[in-house]
Amino acid sequence: MSDGSGNRGGLLAVVLMAATIVFVVIGTMWPTKAALAYTGGQGFASFSSTPQAAVRNLGDEIRVEAWQKAYDGLANKAQFTEQEFEHDLKGYYPSLRTYATLDHFEVFPLHATDNDAEVRLKLYWSSVVGIMESTRDLHVVRSGDQWKAEWPLEKKPVVPPQVIPVNYLRWDVIYRGAGDDWGAQDVDAPHVRIVDMRPVQRAEGVVVLGELLNEDVVPAFVSVNATLIGKNQKAIASEGSFDKISHLLLPKQVTPFLINFPNASLADVSSVRMTPFSTLVPASADPVIEIDNEKLNPAPDASLTGQVIDQSGQVVNVAHVLGTFYDSTGHLVWVADEYLDHALLPQTPEPFNIHIPEDLARQISSERTIVSTYSSGGAA
Amino acid sequence: MQKTELLERSQRPLPMSLLLMAAVAVHLPLLLMKLPLKSYDTNLHIFFASHYLHHWWDPWNPKWYAGFSQTTYPPLPQQWIAVVSHLMGLEMAYMAVQMAAILLLVVGVYRFAKLWVSPRAASFAALACVFLGAESFLVYSAGQLGTTAAAPLYLNALPFLYEWVRRGSGRSFIKAVALFTAAAAAHHATLLFGSFFFALPVLALAYFDREDDSERVAAGAFIARTVTIVVVVSAAIAVVLLPFWIALIHYPVTQTPIPHPSRANYILSPQWGMNYFVVPYGALILALPFIFWRGSSVARLRPLLLGFWVAFLLGLGGTTPVGPILLGRAFNVLTMERFSYWASLLALPIVGALAMELCARFRMRAAVALSILAAFTCALAAGWTTYHPPDAENVDVGPVAAWLNRDGHDQYRYVTLGFGNKIARLARLTDASSVDGEWNSGRMLPELMRYGGGALTSSKGFHEAGLDALRAMLMHADHYGLKWVFVRDQYYDPLLAFAGWRPVDHLNDGTITVWSKDGVPPAQPLNAPQMPPHWQGVMWGICPFGSSIVAILVLLIPEKRRRAAEERYPVMRDGELGLGRMVS
Repeated sequence: MSDGSGNRGGLLAVVLMAATIVFVVIGTMWPTKAALAYTGGQGFASFSSTPQAAVRNLGDEIRVEAWQKAYDGLANKAQFTEQEFEHDLKGYYPSLRTYATLDHFEVFPLHATDNDAEVRLKLYWSSVVGIMESTRDLHVVRSGDQWKAEWPLEKKPVVPPQVIPVNYLRWDVIYRGAGDDWGAQDVDAPHVRIVDMRPVQRAEGVVVLGELLNEDVVPAFVSVNATLIGKNQKAIASEGSFDKISHLLLPKQVTPFLINFPNASLADVSSVRMTPFSTLVPASADPVIEIDNEKLNPAPDASLTGQVIDQSGQVVNVAHVLGTFYDSTGHLVWVADEYLDHALLPQTPEPFNIHIPEDLARQISSERTIVSTYSSGGAA
Repeated sequence: MQKTELLERSQRPLPMSLLLMAAVAVHLPLLLMKLPLKSYDTNLHIFFASHYLHHWWDPWNPKWYAGFSQTTYPPLPQQWIAVVSHLMGLEMAYMAVQMAAILLLVVGVYRFAKLWVSPRAASFAALACVFLGAESFLVYSAGQLGTTAAAPLYLNALPFLYEWVRRGSGRSFIKAVALFTAAAAAHHATLLFGSFFFALPVLALAYFDREDDSERVAAGAFIARTVTIVVVVSAAIAVVLLPFWIALIHYPVTQTPIPHPSRANYILSPQWGMNYFVVPYGALILALPFIFWRGSSVARLRPLLLGFWVAFLLGLGGTTPVGPILLGRAFNVLTMERFSYWASLLALPIVGALAMELCARFRMRAAVALSILAAFTCALAAGWTTYHPPDAENVDVGPVAAWLNRDGHDQYRYVTLGFGNKIARLARLTDASSVDGEWNSGRMLPELMRYGGGALTSSKGFHEAGLDALRAMLMHADHYGLKWVFVRDQYYDPLLAFAGWRPVDHLNDGTITVWSKDGVPPAQPLNAPQMPPHWQGVMWGICPFGSSIVAILVLLIPEKRRRAAEERYPVMRDGELGLGRMVS
C-alpha cells in the first residue's frame, strides 16, 4: 500500500462518497416523480414567495393530510381551530368527502396587489364513487417575505333541537330461513317495465338511455343490462347501468338509467336487447328527500341546479341526485347525475349542480329529478 | 510452541458448523413461529406452491385474475415448498425452504467472501450474514422467498465461476452452470442484476489475479472461458425457463406502473427511509465509511466496491436520480429493497474483514460490541413486521372460504375489499375464482392493467388509480361472473350500494359483509391466449425443479485438491492484523 495505490484508493473512496452525497442532494432538491408521489408533491423546501406558491403549498399539505402544517401556515388561523379546519375540508359528518383523499388541485390567480391577492383553489377529491370537485377562493396576504393564505372557513351547520314526527311506509320481507342467504326466494320478482329506451351516439361511444317503472305493489331492487346487437345479429357488447340508475324502486316509482358502451358505434348496431332485473327487497320510504329550487340553466355551462333537503330526522351520509331531461315533446334526451360529497343533515338544504352537455342543452325543456340515498350501515 | 499453536488457532476461520448453528439458533425459532406469514409476500408464495401441489403439470391458475399463468414467475422455491409440503404441510414447508435458503446463504457468503478476503475474515462475513438486517427484512417483512433463495445459489456459484475462468477447472464449470441455472429458476431478477453486481466483479477479480501465481492465464483464455460460460449458462437458462421467456416476450409488462414506497425519497419521506434504509442496513450503516475506505484502498477489492456502490445507490430508491437513470422504465416496475439486500451481501466480505480486525485488536471488547450491534440489527429487522405491519390486522379468512365453498357459491367469482395480503391465503382455502390477485405481473385483465392500481382488495390505498380499476371491474361483473364482494372496510359500501350490489350476509361477527349482485351468470373459464400449452406445463414441471436436482448432484462431485498449501492458514505474529488476502 506504499506504492501509491493507497493514495489512489483514498481518492477513489472520497470520489465515491462525494458522488453519493451529490446524488442524494440532487434527488432531494429535485425529486423524481415516483418520489414526489410520497411527499404530496412537496420537495425539500417549499417557499411561499408568491401568492400562488403559498396556495400551492397549502394544497400540497392538504394532499398529504398534514393538517397541522397546513393550519399553522394560515394567516387567519386564530379565527378557528385546527380541528374545525380539518372538518371544513373533510366534512363534519361521515360522507364521501370524509374518506376521500385529495387527488390533485389547480391554482388560479384572480387578483393581486403588492400586499394581498385573491387566488382560486380547485380541489379534486378522489372518492370511492369518483373524482369530486370543490372550489375555494382564498385571500392571500403578504407576511414579511412570505405569503400566507386566509382559509374561508364554512361554519358547521347547526340544526336546532326539534322533534320530527316520522310517518312513512315500510315493507318487510319474511325469508324462508337462515339458509336463504343469497336470494333464492319463494316469491316472484316484482314486475318492472322499461317505459322508455333510446340509444344515442356520443363522442365516447354509444349511450343507451331509458326509464324503468316498478309496476308492482312491492319494492324492487332493480338493474338494467343492455346488449348491442350488430347487423349480423351477433352481440357486439353487453353493459349494465352500474350507478347511473336508482336501484331501489318503491311501488310505482320510475328511475332513469344510462348505460355506456365506450368505443362502440351506433352505425354498427341493428338493435338493442334490454334485460331488466328485479328482486324483492325490504324497503322504507324514509328518509324523505325534498327537492327544491330546481332550475335549468342554459348554455354555456348548462346545468340543473337546486337543493335537496332531508325531511327526516336522520343524517343521510351520501345522496345521489339523478336528473332526467326531456325535450318539448316529452322525449327522453339525457340522463345525468351528481353525488353530494357532504352529508345531508335533517332539515338542512344542500345544493346540487348537475352538468348537462352543451350540445344537448338547447333541446331540453323539462326535467325530472330523483334522489337515492345511502346511510351508514344501509343500502342505497 | 504453545504460543504458535494459539496463534495458528486464532487465524483459523470460524468453523462452518458453528456458523450454521448460529443461523439455526437465530432463525429457526422465528420460522417455527411462522413469523414470515405476517410479511407481504409469503402467502403469495404459498399460494403459488399450493397450485403446484395440486396441478404440478399445469401452470394455469384459475384462482386469480379469472385465470393467469404461473409461468410468469420462476417456480423453484415454490415447487420445493409443494414437494416438502407432503411431509409437513404448506406453511411449514415454506419455513423449511426458507431455512434451507438461509443456511445456503451462510455457505454462499463464506465461499464468496473467501474470494476477496482471508478465510477467517470470510467466516466473520458468513457469521454477519446470519444477522444481516436486509436478510431478516426480506424474510420476515417483505417475504421475498424468490430473492432470498436465489441469492445463496448465486453466491455459491460465483467461486466456481472464478475457478473456471481462473484455472479452467471443468468440474467448476459444470458446478457453476448448474448453480447459476438453479438460481435463475429461483428468481429471474437476481440472475439479471446479479450478473452486473456479483459476476462482473468476480470476473474482474479473476482477471486481476490471472498473473498472481504459477497458474498464469492468458488474456485470450480468460476471454474464451468467460464467453463459454456465459453462452452455456444463457442457453441452459433459456431452456429451463423457456415458458417464462415465451410469456415475457408475448405478454411483456406494459401495464401502468404501480407506485411502491421503495421508490420514495428516503429523506423527504423519512418513514420510508426508516423502512427501506435504516431497518435493512441496521448497524451496517456505521461500517459504510470503512467499506468505502477499505474497498478503495485495496486494489483487488475495488470491483467489489463498485458493485456494492451501484447496488447501494439503486437501493436508495428515489433518494437519488441513479435508479431512474440506470433502470429506465424498470425503475417503476421493480421494488428497490432487493438492491439494498444485494448491496449488503456485497459489503459482507469487507465487513467480515473489519470484524476480524476489530476482534484481533480489541479482543473481547470488540466481540461484545459487534455482537450487540449484530443482534440489534437482526432483531430490529425481524421485529419490524410487528412495528410496521404489512397488514393492519390479522384477518381470519377461514369463514369466507367456508362460505364460498358451500351451496354452490363457488360457481361465481368473488373479490375482497380490505383484506390486504390475506387474499392469497383465502385463494388457497377456497375453490372459487377471483378477479383479483397479488401477482401484478401475471394479470392480463384490462380493467386491472389500465389504471396503475395494485390489488383490488387494497384499491383505497392506490387512490384514484385503484378506485378506477375497482369501478371498472365492478362494471363488468356480469362478464366475469363476479357475483360476490366481501367487504371488511365500510369505505367501499357507498360504491357498492349505488352500483347495484346488496348486502346478503355477514361473517366474522359482522366484521365482513357479503355483497351480491343479481342477474350475474355463473363464471366461465376464460379462453385466454396466455394459457400455456400442455408441453409448456410439462417443461415447467420438469426443468426448473430438475435444475435444482442437477445442481445438488453435481455438487457431490468432489473437488480436486489443488494445493495442500491452500488448506493451511498463514500464521501471524502477535499484534499483526489479519489482512490476509486483502493486502494488495
